[in-house]
Amino acid sequence: MALSALLSLLLLIALIGCGKKEESTEQSTSETPKAATPMDKSQVASVSGMAMFTGAAPKPTKIDMSQDPACKKSGAENMTETVVVDDKGDLANVFVYVKDGLGDRAFEVPKDKVTLDQQGCRYHPHVLGMMAGQTVEIKNDDDTTHNIHPSPKDNKEWNESQPPKGSPLEKNFARQEVLIPVKCNQHPWMKMYIGVVKHPYFAVTGKDGKFTIKDLPPGDYTLAAVHEKFGEQTMKLHVEAKKDVSDQNFTFKAQ
Amino acid sequence: MAEQLPPQDDPVTSKSLALPYLIATVLLLGTLLWAIYDENWGTRPWKGFQTEFKDRYETFLKSVKSRSASAEKDLMASSDYQALQADYDRISADVKPKVDEINKEVNKVNQDIGIVQTAFVDARAHVSADTYDLETTVSDKGRENKKKELDAYKAKKQFTIELPDKGKLGPLDYNELEQLYLGLKDQKARLVAQIADITKPQKDAQVKMSQYLADNMVDLSPGALDNLRKANRDWDPKIVQINVNAANLVDRCESCHMGARQPIEITPAAMMAKGKKPDAYALAFVSHPERQLLALHDPEKFGCAPCHGGNGRATSSVEKAHGNYEHWLYPLWKKENVDAGCQTCHAADRVLAAPGGPELGKTIDLGKDMFRNRGCNGCHRYEGYDKEPEDVVFFRQQMKQLESQQKDNLHQAAILTKKGDTAGDNTEANAYYQQAENLRVENSVLAGKIEQFDLQMRSALHDMKKIGPNLKDIRAKLNKNWIPVWLKKPTDFRPGTKMPNFRLDDQDIKAISAYLWQSALTDSVPKAKSGDAGHGKELLETRGCLACHSIGEGSGEQGGTFAANLSRLGEKANLDYIARWVHNPRLRLRPYCPYEKKDLGPEDYAKKGLPYVFDEDHSICPNDGHQLQYQQMTVMPILRLSESDAADVATFLMSQKKKDPADYPDAPYMDDARLKDLGRAKIRQYGCAGCHEINGFEDEGRIGTELTQEGSKPIERLDFALLTEEAKRGGPNPVLNQKVSQNIGPWYGGKYPSNAKEVGPWYDTKGFFERKLLVPNLFDYDIEGRVKVKKAEEYLRMPDPHLTDEQRNAIVTMLLGSQDPTVPADYRYQPRGTDKDIQEGWWIVKKYNCMGCHQFVPGQPTVLMGMTRYQDPDWKEQLPPKLLTEGARVDPVWLMKFLRNPALSDTDTNRNGVRPYLKVHMPTFFLSDNELRKLVRFFQALSQQPMPYIPQKDERLTAKEMEMGRSLFSSAAAPCLKCHATGDPNHDRTATAPNFLMAKERLKPGWMERWITDPQAISPGTSMPSGLFHKQGEQMVFSGPIPPAFEGYTGDHTKLLVRYMMQLTPDEQRRVAAMMGRAPAPSGAKPNPSEKKTTGKASPGALRAPKPAIPPAASGASR
Repeated sequence: MALSALLSLLLLIALIGCGKKEESTEQSTSETPKAATPMDKSQVASVSGMAMFTGAAPKPTKIDMSQDPACKKSGAENMTETVVVDDKGDLANVFVYVKDGLGDRAFEVPKDKVTLDQQGCRYHPHVLGMMAGQTVEIKNDDDTTHNIHPSPKDNKEWNESQPPKGSPLEKNFARQEVLIPVKCNQHPWMKMYIGVVKHPYFAVTGKDGKFTIKDLPPGDYTLAAVHEKFGEQTMKLHVEAKKDVSDQNFTFKAQ
Repeated sequence: MAEQLPPQDDPVTSKSLALPYLIATVLLLGTLLWAIYDENWGTRPWKGFQTEFKDRYETFLKSVKSRSASAEKDLMASSDYQALQADYDRISADVKPKVDEINKEVNKVNQDIGIVQTAFVDARAHVSADTYDLETTVSDKGRENKKKELDAYKAKKQFTIELPDKGKLGPLDYNELEQLYLGLKDQKARLVAQIADITKPQKDAQVKMSQYLADNMVDLSPGALDNLRKANRDWDPKIVQINVNAANLVDRCESCHMGARQPIEITPAAMMAKGKKPDAYALAFVSHPERQLLALHDPEKFGCAPCHGGNGRATSSVEKAHGNYEHWLYPLWKKENVDAGCQTCHAADRVLAAPGGPELGKTIDLGKDMFRNRGCNGCHRYEGYDKEPEDVVFFRQQMKQLESQQKDNLHQAAILTKKGDTAGDNTEANAYYQQAENLRVENSVLAGKIEQFDLQMRSALHDMKKIGPNLKDIRAKLNKNWIPVWLKKPTDFRPGTKMPNFRLDDQDIKAISAYLWQSALTDSVPKAKSGDAGHGKELLETRGCLACHSIGEGSGEQGGTFAANLSRLGEKANLDYIARWVHNPRLRLRPYCPYEKKDLGPEDYAKKGLPYVFDEDHSICPNDGHQLQYQQMTVMPILRLSESDAADVATFLMSQKKKDPADYPDAPYMDDARLKDLGRAKIRQYGCAGCHEINGFEDEGRIGTELTQEGSKPIERLDFALLTEEAKRGGPNPVLNQKVSQNIGPWYGGKYPSNAKEVGPWYDTKGFFERKLLVPNLFDYDIEGRVKVKKAEEYLRMPDPHLTDEQRNAIVTMLLGSQDPTVPADYRYQPRGTDKDIQEGWWIVKKYNCMGCHQFVPGQPTVLMGMTRYQDPDWKEQLPPKLLTEGARVDPVWLMKFLRNPALSDTDTNRNGVRPYLKVHMPTFFLSDNELRKLVRFFQALSQQPMPYIPQKDERLTAKEMEMGRSLFSSAAAPCLKCHATGDPNHDRTATAPNFLMAKERLKPGWMERWITDPQAISPGTSMPSGLFHKQGEQMVFSGPIPPAFEGYTGDHTKLLVRYMMQLTPDEQRRVAAMMGRAPAPSGAKPNPSEKKTTGKASPGALRAPKPAIPPAASGASR
């Protein structure tokens, strides 16, 4: 009897002890990411191309910001950014990334922060790319309060308030997820998208529709282009050592 | 002299006794060996188990390591793990090209779908518009023209599709286009399924790797491990038993299942030599898989068999111990029925599984859902289900008893008074007077009790529901010719309907339709104007209807399964009735008086000079003063749609059809009075009135057997009929299967043979229940598949409930667990206090399907949450509120008010009282006082809040505090009024949060403080942001620039703000809103995801129903 009591007591102590230990190891593993796979920098090449749009593009509409006087200060013409396309059909704000082909390679998470700026009650940029684990610094340059509310599917959801010209928020997303919608509940027109990938091979097309992904090691890849309204398109890509690939063009059509 | 006999040989020396001795020796020796064998193995097989366990456990304990980082590294370096890793890599490499290939195809198909969809969606819109035109055209000629137009459109080869890989297709006509579209969709589904198939080995390999690590590391310290090893080495075989005298419980299960409660997790693989498939021993030695459950149900009290079945005492063989032999009533539950054990003690619980938690309990919950939602209780009594009618009887009896007690008391008091009058001295007299007075006071106590029973009885009458629609209304509601078609086989018209398939022949169908038609009420409903179908569709999809109802068929089906699928409604119903129903489903054509057994008409009221009004406030029969059934016995709530909105919804629903209602063959026999008697007999025979209100059958009892203790029926009392021998023998019986399949084919879709390849005997409760639910009339057959010859009325009546395998198993599980308890009554879960409140609340939550919209416990999914529409972030914010901490959030008095009238207004009813910005509307459920009380208590109990709630005294704000509160409330860094409604229509157009003026009456201050500090922790995903305050020392402090008024303030900012909000007056709020200078929202602003108008205008009398009948809800909602 005494023996079994002693035994169970020991077990209990042991259990508690172990429980604690586990906690601490868990923490330490999450802090030390997988070491980056070494790569031969001399063999890499860059990939560039364009996103085009054919057909009648939906016309941007004017955003009415009169509900918050602090928003109108910029004086600029405020148009919706869902589809930004110029006369030549160059489509901006398309998130282009290597979807497949990198295998199990691990990459170092850049120490540099990416910035998401709120200015004139709009997000700058409208589409943001970053690496999983990388820090995004969220600034508020407006004289009004914003709240930043991403609704991811595979990452943790949060919703945080930021006072006027408040100190920047620093956040990160742990898992790859392409196009997490972000919005501000107080200014319903404020919407942007974040593409989170676990490697550094991504880009967002500019006003001229162009994108460039640099330093890609040789190999066969799937390149994907994702637009918030027109969805995803993919293409196969073959990269040889030190040979830059250009004219990898995606064409989107009206839905 | 006697003749001398020759001397005989001495047998001792002359005869050999070797043989008998030998035989005796062999026998003795044999017996000895037998005894030894029996002692150790024969009747004590557990000894073998224990030796086996000891060996294997020893090996296992040697191999495991205490969990640590270095141990993990070592393990990963081991050759075993490396082999697994290699496997995984190989499989991954193998699979990848195939997956890539398919993904490429998926992308192509996606592209094609995109292209075809554009054309198809337009075309379909055109067709639906034309179809709608066609239906709404009145003249025959016009219809013909429209039909021609539509057919022409459909036949015209006008669609040219250009697909990147298939080139130009077409021109196609509409049907071809549809085929193309559906074909592509199918193709995509096939491809996606293929990927899952192909990647399965890869996933399995991955699981193996993590399992290996888990198997070889334990959460025990090295010292504790050593102790375990020593204890195992020192173990001598002995019976291990749990003995609870009070419960007459002796369970020796752990004599073999030695691993069940070991302190470390034992998996089958751990109990097996490396790389070998676990054998029966390894499977028997594992840990109990549900440790949490064991913690709640201490085995030292509950034992094993009460939950698992089997014969806990038996030790002589596995079969005996598991109860798998004749004469043992409860064999060990099969794995798929393991939840049956829960039911034995938790029959009174409506919800058992923790949603989002482990699987355990989910099967039994599904069984309970199915039992109620499919109307099993219409024919079979089961304690707890539909108990209102029984409650009514009980309350009546109680009242009668108390009334007679009152009479006795009065009588007694009179006698005592008389005795006092004539008593010898004053002391004696006073004693008599005192007793008499006590009795009179007791009577007034009894009067209070009687009043309560009377109120509860009225609630119970109010709460009685029927699972099926009221068939007295069919003349007003249905397409006459559709009725016989439906009765023939309901699933042909609507797969998944609650209505089971009765095996009716043509004569039965004719007779039943005729009776129903002729006995139905002839009152008509007011004409409804055909409305805007598009708006109706939007309302149906966004108002919340789809939390219960579904629409669309096959893969296009969306919505809940709690209520009917509304596809094809246009074939069966008529617009007027549906419009009235959508407007107010509780409206009856006529009130029913249970006392007179009669549906009352205007004439009955006119005779007494009363207006023809019946609702909650006019619930008394004018003829005899008895309670009326004044509302439809449906659980469908009132959505508070205006009449025009209701007409829009009805118009959309009426456009849902595959076939023209006029195409149903004429059924003149339904007016044949001669069929009525047969119809009446058939309706009685099949027990239709169990689920429906039918004229002449209002008091009809249930026709089926009671199932409350069905699981403990002795096997002889289950009627296997002529299949008894077959069931005992088991084995596949091709002749029976084929014949049964032929005979039942039309009813069951020939499903019997595929599901009935039994190998072992099935002469047990499980075998009976499963077959009964699969082919309810199976036991009408003999062993060769011939139908027994008997009278038509003697054939089994139970209809085919057309269940899926999962649903059937759930009901079987529930029935297996439905037992006369073998454990003492106090082992059953009979909670008191708040636990009881929770138990009672779930019955109501389930009755009205509250979980279709609301989350009650973390992780519980709702129907709306799962719908495509609400995946969009903007729509996600339109989801109904989560009720995870509702009891801690709201004042129970307010909650009761809200549940009674969710519009929180007597005049403006077409709105949500708390969240006017949501498109989904909390409907009016028109709950009885009993249900209201139970629901409020349920919420309070779920959040561990005591009842009654006593609000804490809220100190008035000083002028200084008022200023501080105001400055914080209106601070640019916390612009509360930017999102929260104020009641000013201009401002509220963009509001996305409730009005603060409600806070004082509605909210609890402690909850408010927690909410404004971190709303995401209370309702993840809410629009309200976190981070407004942060902790500084002991206080919560505002995170934005602190307003100057706070200079020198050291108190808690959230507490101050909450006090300010609680004391907010309309004037103050208006002032602050004006001060914040928020411009009125422009008309172009879009607060809601959809641009269309929300609802029609709600007039104050929106709920007033068309005359002559006044809706019961009108007064209910506007009290």
